[in-house]
Amino acid sequence: MITKNTKIHDTKNLVGSLPAVRYVNPKYLYIATANARCPKADIYIQPGDHVDSCQVIGMRHAAFFDQPIHATCSGTFVGYEKHYHRNGKLTDFIKIENDFKDTLDKNLHIRSDEEIAALSKEEMTQIIKDCANVGLGGSSFPTYIKFQTDKPINVILVNGIECEPYITADHRLMLEYPYRVMEGIKYTMQAFNCKKALICIKSKYKDIKAVYDQVLKEYAGQGIELCCVGNYYPQGREVEMIKSATGIQLKQGELPSNKGIINFNVSTMVGIYKAIKFNMPVIKRFITVTGDGIMFPKNFRVRVGTSIKELIPLCGGYKDPDVDKVFILGGPMMGASVPSDDCIITKTVTSIIILNKTNYKEEPCVRCGSCVLSCPVKLEPVQIMNAVKAMDKERMKKLNPSRCIECGLCTYSCTSKIQVTDYIRRAKLLTKL
Amino acid sequence: MNIVKETAPHIRKKSSVTRMMVDVLIALAPTLIFAIVVYPLQAIYTLLISLFVMNGAEFVGVGLRNLMPRDDQKHSFKERFEFAYKGKFGISNVLTASISAVIYTLILPPGVPIYAIIIGALVGIIFGKLVFGGLGSNIFNPAAVGMVFTKLCFGSQYQSVSTWYYTVPDVAAGATSLGLLNGGMLDNITQYGLKSLILGQIPGTLGEVYKITIIIGLAYLLIRRSADYRIVVSYLGICTLLSLIAGLSVYSLNNAVNPLRFTAYYMLSGGILFGAAFMLTDPVTSPINSPSRWIYGLVAGVLTIFIRLFAALPEGVAFSILISNMIAVALDHYEWSTSKYNWKNLLTMGLLVVIPVLLVWIIISFGGVYNGQL
Repeated sequence: MITKNTKIHDTKNLVGSLPAVRYVNPKYLYIATANARCPKADIYIQPGDHVDSCQVIGMRHAAFFDQPIHATCSGTFVGYEKHYHRNGKLTDFIKIENDFKDTLDKNLHIRSDEEIAALSKEEMTQIIKDCANVGLGGSSFPTYIKFQTDKPINVILVNGIECEPYITADHRLMLEYPYRVMEGIKYTMQAFNCKKALICIKSKYKDIKAVYDQVLKEYAGQGIELCCVGNYYPQGREVEMIKSATGIQLKQGELPSNKGIINFNVSTMVGIYKAIKFNMPVIKRFITVTGDGIMFPKNFRVRVGTSIKELIPLCGGYKDPDVDKVFILGGPMMGASVPSDDCIITKTVTSIIILNKTNYKEEPCVRCGSCVLSCPVKLEPVQIMNAVKAMDKERMKKLNPSRCIECGLCTYSCTSKIQVTDYIRRAKLLTKL
Repeated sequence: MNIVKETAPHIRKKSSVTRMMVDVLIALAPTLIFAIVVYPLQAIYTLLISLFVMNGAEFVGVGLRNLMPRDDQKHSFKERFEFAYKGKFGISNVLTASISAVIYTLILPPGVPIYAIIIGALVGIIFGKLVFGGLGSNIFNPAAVGMVFTKLCFGSQYQSVSTWYYTVPDVAAGATSLGLLNGGMLDNITQYGLKSLILGQIPGTLGEVYKITIIIGLAYLLIRRSADYRIVVSYLGICTLLSLIAGLSVYSLNNAVNPLRFTAYYMLSGGILFGAAFMLTDPVTSPINSPSRWIYGLVAGVLTIFIRLFAALPEGVAFSILISNMIAVALDHYEWSTSKYNWKNLLTMGLLVVIPVLLVWIIISFGGVYNGQL
């Protein structure tokens, strides 16, 4: 159809209302030594060592920051094992045998409300840096770098939109731990000395609205509000969310802090709450296991480092065992597909989507223009595709593929089932050369 | 069960090119059925011949494009055939060729000699489509190319055909009521009432005259979103505006002419509605961006009205569609194509409305086109 596609066929109703299954004590846990942002790491422990939960066991090094590695349970360090990381690469993982005692590291302590009220922004930034908080919506951008901005912040946006279809991890988090979210927002507002915070959700989430209408009564007068925004994809994108929530149109690539806005994912907020209240890194998270390739889609609350293989039997195993499966970590529009189910839940894995592989027959492009109409950054995907096919670099540069946010809408809306997004990724690479 | 890797996104919309093409055929069906009812013999043989010729040419064309490259080994005919066609000739090839054939049938008048139908269909599909690379790559609307070629080469061989549906008044055979308008014979306009214009009880082509079925088809296409409303709205809008201006200009010279009636005749005669519904909206030959699509509709509309008003040709729609097909290619050039509405393309749209309006008014009022009869 020649139309703008923003509504994506969604299965959220299937799992969004299910409470998360607690699966927090697996036999073994696996901690990544490297990730997409941090290619190198130093490990401080030797095989056979005992580790406490939340103990710093190493340090990941990236280009411009270091990130401590925390154990997520107490037990014995067994050795290294290779598993698939979220980014699709085979990575060394630290294998820890759980002793089920969950002894906590001595650094953890509960800060009283008075102590927290006395914390300055710099102290909070340091705590967040030590707890290795990152953007848990999937970006894994270090939160402390966001905290280091010296621009005045007028409004904090909390992203609970979760605009990708299928995923309900943030949905469950918001429903099950509303007070943690609120406390996290309170601390962040204190850090930025900001008087206003908006919790953005899709307006179709009536259940979240009902919960927060109640909870916000207890936080009356603190400037925290619920903001219902559109139901479309990609509403969760920074620029779109800021436009819908505050009416401010950002230029692409412009930092929101220039306009006095800073935004965090809801799960990052809970991470900040844990870090500031207990000095605790993120060791557990919500995760959705769903898709048409799995028997009973479910939400889980798991320890970071759980192997995904263990979750599949809990969901009743694979459906249609003779059909090939696609295994996606993240959303079905932007998530990475991994070549094996032997992968590990890291901090930023929001969901596991198992889809039956569909082989779409690619037809010639009939220039219907759906991709152009759907593109949220107003590119012309089909023109870029033709430029790539013609290997015309001049044309590619003029069509500006570097602005693409890889939301996947061009491929989603293509009537000819062409993988347009792949061509644009190629154009991005080629124009950089 | 294997776990396979693929690139994001992993889900797709439930729609396909096949579905869009079937939609066009469904939208064409009422008009086609009406044509067959009114001219049973002529419509059926024109349709069958053009379906056969266009599908055959498409089949041969796909085969020639995918010929097995020359190597020193021997290949059986079966191998060569499979190399050329396996996965390359599908339902969408048949559907596009059939759409072209149906449109070609409906824009031909009844009584076209069979050899002219065959040659026109061949020229249309080969020079309108296959030489550009077939499905998805063609610049011109194959049906329009075929129709224009037949008309220009064999126009004098067309025979008039009588039908039970209406009685032909004493006019030159094969002339559409548009010809009457254009030839300065406004008196003849009363010959056919507005009612017969709407019902298609006028001489004309096989399918262009049945306005009710065409509007049903157009509505279906727009509801199914298989046609872009931008092109339809801008084309019909500019045609209405310009014919209204022409009507008003004539009214200022001759008070006997009712400008609204003049506009209604202009819009309901000839192929304006048919072209807007089925030929201009063909996505392959229209531009990609939405501002360009508005411009494309405007260009086609201006050309249609100018050819009708001032040219010696009776029928402007097919010509204007072919010319705007060429302009569509230019509109899609990467140097200026954009999907944003900026001052440049808004100015172009504005000029495309204002300049033709002024030109129509000036030429009719002061250009001496009006000879006292019109």
